Amino acid sequence: MGNLLHRFILSLIVLGLVAVVVFVLVEALPGDAATAFLGQQATPEGLAQVRLRLGLDRPAHERFFEWAGGILRGDLGVSLMRDEPINDFLWTRLRNSLLLGLSAALVGFPLAIGLGVIAGLTRDRWPDLTLSTGSLIGMSMPDFVIATLLIYVFSVQLRWFPAVTLVNPDAPVLELLPNIVLPIATLTILLTAYILRIMRTGIIEVMRSDYIRVARMKGLHHVVILFRHALPNALLPTITVSALTVAWLIGNLVVIEAVFNYPGIGTLMLSAIQNRDLPLVQSIAIIMAVIYLTVNLTADLLTLALNPRLRVRG
Amino acid sequence: MSRKFLLGLLAVLVMTLLSACVLPAPTSTSEPSSSAASSEDEQATGNRSVLRVPHFLARGGAESLDPASPTEFSYANYLLYDRLVALDDSGVPVPELATAWTANEDATEWTFTLREGVTFHDGSAFDSADVAYTFAHLLDPATESRAARTLSLLVGTETPDPQTIIFQLEPGHADFPLLLSSRATAIVPADSADTIATTGIGTGPFKLETFDPEGTTIFSANDAYWQGAPALAGVEMPAIADSEARTLALQAGQIDVLLQAGPTAADLFMNSDDYTVLSFPTGTWIGLSMRIDMPPFDDARVRQAIRLVTDRQAMVDLILNGGGRVSCDTPVDPSDPYRWDPEGGCLQDIEGAKALLADAGYADGLDLTLYTSDVLPNLIPLAEIFQQQAAAAGINVALEITPADSFFAETAVNEAFITTGWLGRPTDEILNLVFRSTSPLNEAKFQSAEFDQLLDDARQTLDLAERTKLYQAAQQMLATEGGHMIAMHINEATIVSNAVSNFPARSVEHIEWYNISKSE
Repeated sequence: MGNLLHRFILSLIVLGLVAVVVFVLVEALPGDAATAFLGQQATPEGLAQVRLRLGLDRPAHERFFEWAGGILRGDLGVSLMRDEPINDFLWTRLRNSLLLGLSAALVGFPLAIGLGVIAGLTRDRWPDLTLSTGSLIGMSMPDFVIATLLIYVFSVQLRWFPAVTLVNPDAPVLELLPNIVLPIATLTILLTAYILRIMRTGIIEVMRSDYIRVARMKGLHHVVILFRHALPNALLPTITVSALTVAWLIGNLVVIEAVFNYPGIGTLMLSAIQNRDLPLVQSIAIIMAVIYLTVNLTADLLTLALNPRLRVRG
Repeated sequence: MSRKFLLGLLAVLVMTLLSACVLPAPTSTSEPSSSAASSEDEQATGNRSVLRVPHFLARGGAESLDPASPTEFSYANYLLYDRLVALDDSGVPVPELATAWTANEDATEWTFTLREGVTFHDGSAFDSADVAYTFAHLLDPATESRAARTLSLLVGTETPDPQTIIFQLEPGHADFPLLLSSRATAIVPADSADTIATTGIGTGPFKLETFDPEGTTIFSANDAYWQGAPALAGVEMPAIADSEARTLALQAGQIDVLLQAGPTAADLFMNSDDYTVLSFPTGTWIGLSMRIDMPPFDDARVRQAIRLVTDRQAMVDLILNGGGRVSCDTPVDPSDPYRWDPEGGCLQDIEGAKALLADAGYADGLDLTLYTSDVLPNLIPLAEIFQQQAAAAGINVALEITPADSFFAETAVNEAFITTGWLGRPTDEILNLVFRSTSPLNEAKFQSAEFDQLLDDARQTLDLAERTKLYQAAQQMLATEGGHMIAMHINEATIVSNAVSNFPARSVEHIEWYNISKSE
């Protein structure tokens, strides 16, 4: 219990650091919301006027603390590019991204674990070779190449699914569904490719171990051996890697949402950075960090649940 | 081990082959499914179809339907509103909401006769009060319109009757009707400043049904349109920010038209049987800017040497694959009646450049640093090709590539030698905006009372032939003394599905949308 509290406090410190680092980085980028807004028509007077209107004339630390104070009260601040409260439009974007991410996880994790077990059990025979080669290809192709290939086959040639999403960010989930098939497929391929390999290695390791040999000699049924004894142990390294993969997927979401024109936090982040909309960039970064930390914490708890040896007796 | 490796390799090969077989095979199935989809469209909307045109989400969701707003939703506003004046293919002002216009002797007072029987989308009648209001709203500092600087010469309006409006200018402007062809001057109803950004009530060929800049904005035909009912039932305008995504959406049949398509997309559709690539010259230009208040460009001979050393046709061929027009240092649109082109063109003259440089004291060569950025397309290739060409005359150009975000706000302000480019604008506007001594956007700091006087005189000269001479003299000055090397005007491409008819090969600003139709 104390361990958990400790982790929680540490997470809060990490969030604070993320906020500071992102702020400093975006501030250090050349240009600001005013130069992004005026572009080529930027004159010194014009810039001063826009900065005054956006409140960018105030010192950086003052703006940071105002934003940080707001977020503690649950107020994410006002978007510079849209001139409307971030709370008004960010959460539906997050819902859309979560819909994408969770669906991909729901399909991808069982698939990866199942295929990993098959590959591990059929080591060096054709199912393993096919799956391992497939996952190697999946791992070595960049996300946007996979996305473009899927669109080319299933949207341009077969016309089964729309190539890009053309619905409003606030659209009901039902309307989003036909649009998320290809993005989910892309994410699933990426996810499966990595986790399958870890799972395969885990199964191979465990199946070689002494306790599995003992279980076999005891005459246990191989299904029981697999599910009771092999799988829980083989899953341990997979869970840690899965947490890392999810974190890495959050980054990939930006690319995938852009290719599919999907109205999530990834495309919002892109336009926020392009427009130097600092409060919005900050808010999205914090949300991504929260997701990352939550996933990591969940993975640790799962590992704890699966591995009695790591539990500290209170 | 090697056997396993070979097996793996075989598996890879088989999979590649399989996917290669899968890709081209289903082509035949694409046609029935697409025609099925469009027959549904037909049932829903009678015998007219809905055209689907994406916009680029350029304002990131802050798109405004107020044509005067600095974050105006340009594509939508082209459908919703009309201007007083349109431009024909050769850049000559022709009637739109105004039917005729006359000026007094010094062009300080312009009387416009307005079209009768025109109504706004809400049914109210269009008259001179709406026009007066539109310009008052545009010039209101609170609007922050980007067109306010160009129209600051407008000092007052008078509306003697509903069909007449008088504009008072200070100073006079012989080409005032040209300024009224700007889409920022599109006519909005009187007293609409608080609502126009979301209602989009204009007199244009299409009415607003759903305003959704981040999703799909929907328009329906304005059957009471003064030029006749549109040939389309409506227009759907989805937001697609990524250029790759737009190309894919066009290939997948989710959209019918891709406006302002980049060269990559244009090449992709060039040989297609289902799409047509419309390419046309525009006033958009790129070139180099030299600060005449900074060495070595404070010497006119050095600036001239830079112009002489450039092989412009080679640049057009290499950078745009021929998709552009050589400019002899004029920023004026090739299709503009005021365009000046020297006799014999402007060919590369290495010896001439060397002689000028020797005269200026750089016989042993000249070292320059050219600042460039990908803030606009084609600027970095332009700089790289110029670097090669200049070397022939002993000019050593070091390239400095700086971040796009601060290029105009910082680099362009501080450095002597930069790549630059501007979107097409009418002659008077581009010359006054970028080259006039007093303009804050005069990037080369070109200071010439004579040049300014030519522009002023041209504005006061009502005779077209005389005015043309003055504008051409001004362009000639830029080519001999100015601070720019303007290499080319860039063609623009529109990609259109072959189901669409009457789509003009014109800049999006000047498309007549009511005329366009779509079959199937």
